[in-house]
Amino acid sequence: MKPSRVLYAWLAPLLAGAIVLAWLGGEGTAQDPRSPAWQSRAIPESRGDIQEVDGKRVQIRYKAAPFSTVTQNFEQWPTYAYVDTKTYPPPGQVAMPAIEGDPKEGRKLFMNRAKAPCTACHLIQGDDVWPAGNIGPDLSTYGDRGLPDQFVFNLIYDARLFFPNTSMPPWGTAGIYKPEEIVHIVAFLKTQKGNPPFVPPSEKDPARNPFTRKLESYFGDNLDPTNNPAVVLAEGAMALWTQTGPAGKACADCHAGGPERAMQGVATKYPKYIARHGRIMSMEDFLPVHAQETTGVEMLAQSADNLHMTMLIKMQSNGMPVNVDVTSLEAKAAYERGKALFFKKVGERHHACADCHQNAPGKGADKFLGGRLLGDAEKGFTKHFPTWRTNFQVVWDIRRRMQFCMLPLGMNMLPADAPEYADLELYLTAFDQGKPMNVPGIRH
Amino acid sequence: MAQVGKVTIRVPPDIKRGDVVRIRSLVIHPMEIVQRQDGKPVDKNYLFIHQVIATYNGREILRSDTTQSISENPSFSLAFRPTEPGTFKITFLDTHGGKYEGSAEIKF
Amino acid sequence: MQRGEDEAMAALREGERVSRRAVLSILGLLGMAAAAGMSVLGVPEAALGQGTLGALQPEEKVDETLQRLFGGRAMKDGSNVIKMNIPLIAENGALVPVAVEVQSPMSPTDYVKHIYIISDKNRRPMNTRFSLTPELGVASVGTNLRLGETTDVRAIVEMSDGTLLMAKREVKVTVGGCGG
Repeated sequence: MKPSRVLYAWLAPLLAGAIVLAWLGGEGTAQDPRSPAWQSRAIPESRGDIQEVDGKRVQIRYKAAPFSTVTQNFEQWPTYAYVDTKTYPPPGQVAMPAIEGDPKEGRKLFMNRAKAPCTACHLIQGDDVWPAGNIGPDLSTYGDRGLPDQFVFNLIYDARLFFPNTSMPPWGTAGIYKPEEIVHIVAFLKTQKGNPPFVPPSEKDPARNPFTRKLESYFGDNLDPTNNPAVVLAEGAMALWTQTGPAGKACADCHAGGPERAMQGVATKYPKYIARHGRIMSMEDFLPVHAQETTGVEMLAQSADNLHMTMLIKMQSNGMPVNVDVTSLEAKAAYERGKALFFKKVGERHHACADCHQNAPGKGADKFLGGRLLGDAEKGFTKHFPTWRTNFQVVWDIRRRMQFCMLPLGMNMLPADAPEYADLELYLTAFDQGKPMNVPGIRH
Repeated sequence: MAQVGKVTIRVPPDIKRGDVVRIRSLVIHPMEIVQRQDGKPVDKNYLFIHQVIATYNGREILRSDTTQSISENPSFSLAFRPTEPGTFKITFLDTHGGKYEGSAEIKF
Repeated sequence: MQRGEDEAMAALREGERVSRRAVLSILGLLGMAAAAGMSVLGVPEAALGQGTLGALQPEEKVDETLQRLFGGRAMKDGSNVIKMNIPLIAENGALVPVAVEVQSPMSPTDYVKHIYIISDKNRRPMNTRFSLTPELGVASVGTNLRLGETTDVRAIVEMSDGTLLMAKREVKVTVGGCGG
């Protein structure tokens, strides 16, 4: 155990941050989310660049859905970037506006997808409520509680006032709901009454109610090429394996025996610390640097070549147990950094990964967020990545998944190959330790 | 999209005479959906598979007239009780004249 | 039904500028004429192979679709012979697997001729029409549907003797969400 190395492991990101702040200080924009220690090798639309377009600062993102549905720039809100020193505003409180609350307007606001909707976490009465979630308490008979208006107003404005560790976004403090709108929601909630009190109307449809809803798994065999197009695409990467690159070499020249022999078991160790680059790297992070310096082939992160080759390589470890290192000095430090990120509150809505993916009171694992059943990080949900996304008919690796997770929740994305994402991926992959790899997955 | 027109077929091994066989096939294809401009549907010659023809030893056994309401990269499955060994063939035809085929042998 | 179709088809193929009105008057029945001379996609048969196969089709309400395809013929409840496999809740509308199995001898004189899959709320409700043959030996087909929203999905079976049977299921479609 070398004390100086231990010191370096946790000091490095702070030093990097200090250096960057000093460097950027002169430029006047301390909002760049990218780690100065790593030059992104991702495709341009994956780098999280911020540019001026028609006088407005915008973040450049992927053109395809669902990224195309989020155009807002969230750069004023905290991100996962290690150099990001932004803090979230403290719990806020304002006087309740003295206007008449309209329950009808309040119900519309409650179910408004552009804002939240509140039904993502809270069940209310109504056959038209599809699909409500159950991360937050069932509000179907909230009106029977007879709570003071100002209290309910304050709670919606900023729940942190009463529940410091809440998953509920600070709607008012963040400026997502205006005080007048919250008054209408308060009025609406008062109408949510049971008959008799606290007894909601009987449920006609078990699927409507997230507490009784059952979601069948129906996407079928993920390894069947007549069912999962990702398998077809992965097998197509065989052509890349034998293709001679600009440097006059092919993968096959150094990796003898084809992917089946040469890559067997290799992917089980990723993501891992790679000393030459001083960071944790997943297969997708490693391919761009490795391919470039050996065969000369560009295999930028998030390019089709990168995703398909990653799948091809990982498939050679299918059935073998995940075997990531979390005990060596650098890996352990990265694991701890990743864990801190998992619990860090970020974005406009003040969410942490844990808010959705931890199995704890008030947190979302194994519960519904709207119609979506949320995964439990501790059960392990990394060993099927890259996965086919049936909704978009494309391959997503875990980085694309991370980039879109918080984006609609109000946080700018980092580049796909960001060291922060790699540390987070290591933390998450550790929960799959010992479990058989199964790539590519097939999911919604 | 890479590999448009690539066809995969799955026929189970070890078929005995009289067995009912489950055959499944997938084709990589965009199956373009109706686009909208300013809320109105765009009039154009959309690219999608409009017909799937399955034959056995040259005889048509199943046909599917398909539309834009079938998923991208569509998959089709059928059950079949072959009375003789032979060649199963599936052909996908799209609206731009594309023709994509795959075949598999059935032996007893 | 078959003869009416043939007459209309013959008229169109001979290159006569037979207007749709003329076809209607030949057959005398609006419902039948709508089905005759048109492919199951709703594209005039004469247009097939002339580069308009993918042309934009008008939006159709399910009642219009059923009228166009079946012309008001009686439809029996087929739930005792039709087995429909489709999820109750679909995580997205882009890919909803459906499998339909029909109890039938699949003999040359008694077999399932067509299986129509129709999704009421789709812009054009007919997803696909399977055409089966006795050589299959069994009637069991499947594919992946696109559904625009929560909708009833029908499996309508036409037997070789013209009998129509129907089974249907409601599929709740989950749209959007911050997971993408």
